[in-house]
Amino acid sequence: MAYKPQYGPGTSHVAENRRRQMNPDIELDKVRNVTDEDIVLILGHRAPGSAYPTAHPPLAEQQEPDCPIRKIVKPTDGAKAGDRVRYVQFVDSMYNGPSQPYQRTYTECYRFRGIDPGTLSGRQIVECRERDLEGYAKWLIETEMFDPALTSVRGATVHGHSLRLAEDGLMFDMLQRCIIGDEGVVTYVKDQIGEPLDRAVSLGKPLDDAWVKAHSTIFHSLVGSSYRDDKEYIEYIQRIHSLRTKYGFMPVEE
Amino acid sequence: MTEAAFDYPQCRITPLRMLKPDSAEALLNEVVKIPGIRRMMINGPNLPRTVPYGPARGKPNPNSNRKVIDVGGSEFELHVQVGTIILEVLDESVTQKIRALCDRFFTKFPYQLQTGKKYMKTQPTTADYAKYGPNVDPSLIGLVDPRNKEGPIIIQGR
Repeated sequence: MAYKPQYGPGTSHVAENRRRQMNPDIELDKVRNVTDEDIVLILGHRAPGSAYPTAHPPLAEQQEPDCPIRKIVKPTDGAKAGDRVRYVQFVDSMYNGPSQPYQRTYTECYRFRGIDPGTLSGRQIVECRERDLEGYAKWLIETEMFDPALTSVRGATVHGHSLRLAEDGLMFDMLQRCIIGDEGVVTYVKDQIGEPLDRAVSLGKPLDDAWVKAHSTIFHSLVGSSYRDDKEYIEYIQRIHSLRTKYGFMPVEE
Repeated sequence: MTEAAFDYPQCRITPLRMLKPDSAEALLNEVVKIPGIRRMMINGPNLPRTVPYGPARGKPNPNSNRKVIDVGGSEFELHVQVGTIILEVLDESVTQKIRALCDRFFTKFPYQLQTGKKYMKTQPTTADYAKYGPNVDPSLIGLVDPRNKEGPIIIQGR
């Protein structure tokens, strides 16, 4: 029988959302439209319209060693062109943010190629070739992995994921990269490292509370679904904990 | 160290959402009208004047939350996004007045008023001793970060 990945345990809607994001066979809903130029502006790695700076000549122009792995693995577009490696970093609020660092890493590993994710408690960074990065960042911002109020693109100075939300519903940002206008539209006025943009980039209105709660991948006993209510998840975690504790002695399941 | 001769009750206002400067100004202007408040401190995450780290380190950090507000006739610049307000009061009746004010003020989101604990320090620490020396004014203790060059704001009684 062919192996069928389960992606994760749990019977709660949070667990289901996690599996939904990770499963590459499921196409996530596109919630907003962002242009390629907007993505380039937010990332701040190159000027919009400029050529991709390269780290090495295109693969087609160089003599590659006779390597069996290179024959098996098809290079991504960015690797083929010799792009630089650049990054995008996301911060998700614990108050029902649509994703969270580990979840982002799992999702990206299942869905993207040629990436190097870094997972931290309050932020998640992914590095890859610049051309690929722009495509991945666009997907991450346009789909339900992103909410303009509860998720933020922050290259540096990321503090805010665990803080109370501001009065206008935005996650705290020391550098105020995005602002919410009178009509409720969130616009980025700085790029991900905090340098002012030549023009503001609109990412639309924050999604309503019911949507955010229904699409959250974070357990939160106060504002969302409690972790302890998902018995299957607890059982799974306890099993993992038990096995890894016993592993050093005799890894046999009782 | 000197003894805690200034053992006044304290309370802490914690709104569910962090306040914008306009709301903070409105709330604080109501709070200062209540007689019997000795000292007040605004806490929250820092809003630096320049980008503190990262590739843009040292560049200006324009932020609409870092704004000059007027409380009880004294103007000062907010350095933090207002998260909690700690008050030292003369007695418990003042706390009740503050609670009544908060009940009226926070209509869009809830708040929490915690009482009876030491939210603001009342005894000098080693850092205070190094900064102010042995004869420090007790009313300064706990109000100002010893590393900060700016002093407290004095709001005159009405």
